Amino acid sequence: MLPENITAIIARNERWSGEAASEPYEAGWAREAVFFLRALKAPIGRPGKAFVEISPDGMRWVREGTEFDMPSEIDGLAAARIAHFGNWLRVAARFEDGAECTVLLTLHLKA
Amino acid sequence: MATSTFPTAAEMTEAMRLAMLRADPALSRFDPLPRIVSFDDFARGHCGWSQLVGNYEDTLDSMLPGYAQHSSAMLSTLGHWDAGSHGGMDSSYALKIATKPKPGAQNVAIKRHTFRARGPIRFEVFFTFKPEATELKLSETDVRSVGFLFDLQCGDRDGDGERVMPHLRFLNAENGRHIQKWQYKRETTALKPIGNEEKTVSHYHLAPEGWLDLPGGDQRLCYNEIPTKVNWSYLRFDFDLATMKATDFQCNDRRFDLSGFDSIRIPAMKNLWCMLNFCMFAETDAAKRAFLYVDSVCISGDF
Repeated sequence: MLPENITAIIARNERWSGEAASEPYEAGWAREAVFFLRALKAPIGRPGKAFVEISPDGMRWVREGTEFDMPSEIDGLAAARIAHFGNWLRVAARFEDGAECTVLLTLHLKA
Repeated sequence: MATSTFPTAAEMTEAMRLAMLRADPALSRFDPLPRIVSFDDFARGHCGWSQLVGNYEDTLDSMLPGYAQHSSAMLSTLGHWDAGSHGGMDSSYALKIATKPKPGAQNVAIKRHTFRARGPIRFEVFFTFKPEATELKLSETDVRSVGFLFDLQCGDRDGDGERVMPHLRFLNAENGRHIQKWQYKRETTALKPIGNEEKTVSHYHLAPEGWLDLPGGDQRLCYNEIPTKVNWSYLRFDFDLATMKATDFQCNDRRFDLSGFDSIRIPAMKNLWCMLNFCMFAETDAAKRAFLYVDSVCISGDF
């Protein structure tokens, strides 16, 4: 039996600014995860900072420790690889006032 | 002279089929028609249930807002903050369809097939639903609805060129009022051209308007006493692809009269021949995520 893997679309064409976060995703069956975040439109202002977050219940979140810069140009791509996360995953991001990015956030999971 | 009591070959075949079904722990809780098209227990991945993405051309901005909110379903052990993983009926996992935390938000999972014979199709599901447990309250009116639909179109040589979309939803609550009844739909929104090349149109068949009460469709389901207790319910919907009419509907111990039921019917589209799609959806009534959990699905046919 081949190991399960899935590509999940977590946020598609969402405009992120200020304090933003993706919807929670359950991935407890997977041993490894990769987030890809693509800027679908030219980002405005300075690129924000993104943080992988984990949760005991999908409602309360703590930083997992992986951070990355948001893309600085249209079609710019950022990635985060995570190997130890329990069940719940999301990406949170922080932008300066007036800055924003329209994102395609995908999650690639493998058992 | 005694008359023969030997069963016919057809009777023996059916008896053998039923004996094998009932001895199979995975399938025994279903009543499939003779041919199983797919059996999804979600202990083997998503089993082909992907997100219903909207149509677009050149830019995702052209997608209708109803579809833009959809996201991927997930595999869940129904892990709860107070009680841990609830698990499925027969494995750890269920498919989870989650809305965003905004009143009226919806999410839809879809399985896309085509058919090779126009005959009876049976859709059987074990499901449950709850809102996200963000409050220490019963929260029984926070999920607006859960439901399912088929998206069907005749074959390219058939003379009855229609796209037919039977919809049923369990309207649990609306604007904070606990309602608990089954509804169906006959109308979608107007077809809207997408882009400039005249190749794509879109319509949002899950728009809040146009739901009609299924006659005799009131039903109280098992909703357990706190937001983190769930019980699985059985649902069966029978549809005849030959006549493009629904023939039977059952949820738990109740069977419903479908003589007043009809589907959304629109002219056939130029590229959807023999389409056999199945969708399941959730809709929230509150600023709280609604979760539709599906333990297993068995789709079968008589062909």
